[in-house]
Amino acid sequence: MNKLVAIIKREYLQRVRTKFFVIMTVLGPLMLLVFTIVPGLLFSLKAGGATRIAVLDQTDGTKLYDSIHSSLLQRERDDESNKPPNIAEASNPNSKDRIENARKSITSSFRVEQVNPNGRALEEIKRELNARIGRDELDGYLVIPPDILTNSESKTSYYGRNVGDVITRGQIENRLNSAVRRQRLIQQGVKDEDVDALSKSVNVTTYPINEKGEEGAEDSGAGFAMVFIIAFLIYITVLLYGQVVLGAIIEEKETRIAEILFSSVRPFQIMLGKLIGVSLMALTQLLIWGLAFLLLALLAVPAMAAQGFMDINLPHLPPFFFVYFFLFFVLGYFIYATIYVLVGSMVTTAQEGGQMAMPVVFLLVAALYLAFPVIRAPNSSFAFWVSMVPFFSPITMMVRIISQTPPFWQIALSLVLGFVTVVLLLWLASRIYRIGMLMYGKRATIPEVVRWVRQS
Amino acid sequence: MTNKSASVVLDHITKSFGEFTAVNDLSLAVHAGRVFGLLGPNGAGKTTTIRMIVNITAPDSGSIKLFGKQITPELQDRIGYLPEERGLYKKMKVGDQLRFFAELKNVKGKEADLRVDRWLERLKLREWKNKKSSELSKGMLQKIQFITAVIHEPDLLILDEPFSGLDPVNVELLKEIVLELKASGKTIIFSTHQMEVAERICDDICLMNRSRKILEGSIREVKRGFSRNAVALRLVGGDPVLEDRSLVSKVQRHSDGVEALLAEGATPQALLKELLAAEATIERFEMIEPSLHDIFIEKVTENV
Repeated sequence: MNKLVAIIKREYLQRVRTKFFVIMTVLGPLMLLVFTIVPGLLFSLKAGGATRIAVLDQTDGTKLYDSIHSSLLQRERDDESNKPPNIAEASNPNSKDRIENARKSITSSFRVEQVNPNGRALEEIKRELNARIGRDELDGYLVIPPDILTNSESKTSYYGRNVGDVITRGQIENRLNSAVRRQRLIQQGVKDEDVDALSKSVNVTTYPINEKGEEGAEDSGAGFAMVFIIAFLIYITVLLYGQVVLGAIIEEKETRIAEILFSSVRPFQIMLGKLIGVSLMALTQLLIWGLAFLLLALLAVPAMAAQGFMDINLPHLPPFFFVYFFLFFVLGYFIYATIYVLVGSMVTTAQEGGQMAMPVVFLLVAALYLAFPVIRAPNSSFAFWVSMVPFFSPITMMVRIISQTPPFWQIALSLVLGFVTVVLLLWLASRIYRIGMLMYGKRATIPEVVRWVRQS
Repeated sequence: MTNKSASVVLDHITKSFGEFTAVNDLSLAVHAGRVFGLLGPNGAGKTTTIRMIVNITAPDSGSIKLFGKQITPELQDRIGYLPEERGLYKKMKVGDQLRFFAELKNVKGKEADLRVDRWLERLKLREWKNKKSSELSKGMLQKIQFITAVIHEPDLLILDEPFSGLDPVNVELLKEIVLELKASGKTIIFSTHQMEVAERICDDICLMNRSRKILEGSIREVKRGFSRNAVALRLVGGDPVLEDRSLVSKVQRHSDGVEALLAEGATPQALLKELLAAEATIERFEMIEPSLHDIFIEKVTENV
């Protein structure tokens, strides 16, 4: 026991004291911020200013132009409702803010002008507009057919230099749609001021009902988002610290200290000590990050509330959920960390280890994909078996708990199976490690490993 | 072979790795308070034997007893081991490192600190205590590793090629410490293929070759068994006498003279008489006993 403590202590202190740890701890959240926000910003960013659009309204009396004009320049409700449900929005209090800003930058990015036909033929007008686009005085133009308000089959055309910009194209289409719809309604005798109210989309509020027939609180979809958070957290943690675990296991092989260690400590203790030591380091780092995030949130929430973002609702989840969240997160981390231990026990250099550890990530991604069929039928036998397989259970069982909490014995069984797997993997790794130590410089083949495990 | 004062007793142990037999039916006893040389060429099975003694691997058959008991992980704390494969944590400070290895042998707290300081002082490395081991020279690292083997004051100390790569001053320093430990009643197993070193330091030896024991006993006994009537000569002239196969069976020329192996039935006196008769100028004429080196070469080559 003392020896185990000595190994854990060394592993922990040696890692926490490094400059790398300090730098990672400071830069980690910054990098996360950069990786999550920057791609989104880049995508919504349109360099080169507003898109200049000309509209040729061929309807009688150019009734549509005003509608299109204001629709293109105004913030559009359709954009919001057409957006796919955003996971980040439910999970990240900052994201609302971000999306809002991004949208503002998008909505103001049109400059609209009307084309006056002056009795000219369509071909002639088009030729002139094409020439203007060629001279880069215009980015594109819309040709609205005369019968658009009466014929639902009539075709509107968009001509432009850069038709590859699908975001702009989509926006134009959306806004044109609502403008036309509005005008059609008005033409059918709906009062202008009623149009908005009538065309408002329906909001469905979801309430869960449990196995006892009790109705739960309004479900904001946060539970579903939480599944992705746990999956994401396990994924990030495994990616971040799996390599560290791998390096820790290989360290003694590369420095040839293994033999001294083995003459003092049992291999299982070495493995366990290293795993715990690195995990404590990971925990320290995650705690620092977590506290920093919490602090930021505490400061940011009142500030945002003051700015009118009152509807930042933290997910309403029962407390037992957080207990499971913690347990399955820890389980998931340890299952994947011990796979890295196993890989580390088989290889001789970190480089080799990196190659062999690749499939671990695939396994994790597979678990994530399995979450989809499970969420659609959380009580199917497929869902049951998948949530019992240790490599998948941290994610799949969490999905079941959130969607339709299974009986307690199933959750307990899944946890027990998971932790038994961790111990078995560690035991296997220590056995392979000890025998593999006797042969430096060569990677163990699978048949060799099988033989070693049977031996001794 | 079982002896009350024996610290280590190997009884017919065999260890194979797949097809390859590394140690074959080896029996030996190592006595307390003596230096035991485990000798043999590379690949003879020395390291495998040692690994079984320190309980890193288990023999396929046969038994190992340490201090009269069947080996257990707990007994590992009474063994100090300096493996041939040397390594230290590169980025760890020397002092921390030694403390860590002491803790692995259940030496804790103030006692561990005390011993680290004492041993660093003894090996003249005190000023390196707070340096990372990557800053140390190879010889220094080797001394640090020696400390890891002795810091818990083990009853059995196993040293695998402890002097390779050390300068003569440090070899003497370590040798002195080994002999002190021996005097205080510790048992030392010393594995090497450097016979000159073994000859000066060991009381008993076991010579292994190709996984088997081929020779065992105290250095005295072994040498007596190999008395070969050899004479060391430094002389001018007398070459025909040395060519006389009735007197001399074999001549080995060194930079500093000649070593003549007497033929069956020939005496040193007869050789000296003949050389004088041949009017050779003799600067040196000395009876020599076989060195461990010669015995090693002879036994190992005949074993092939």
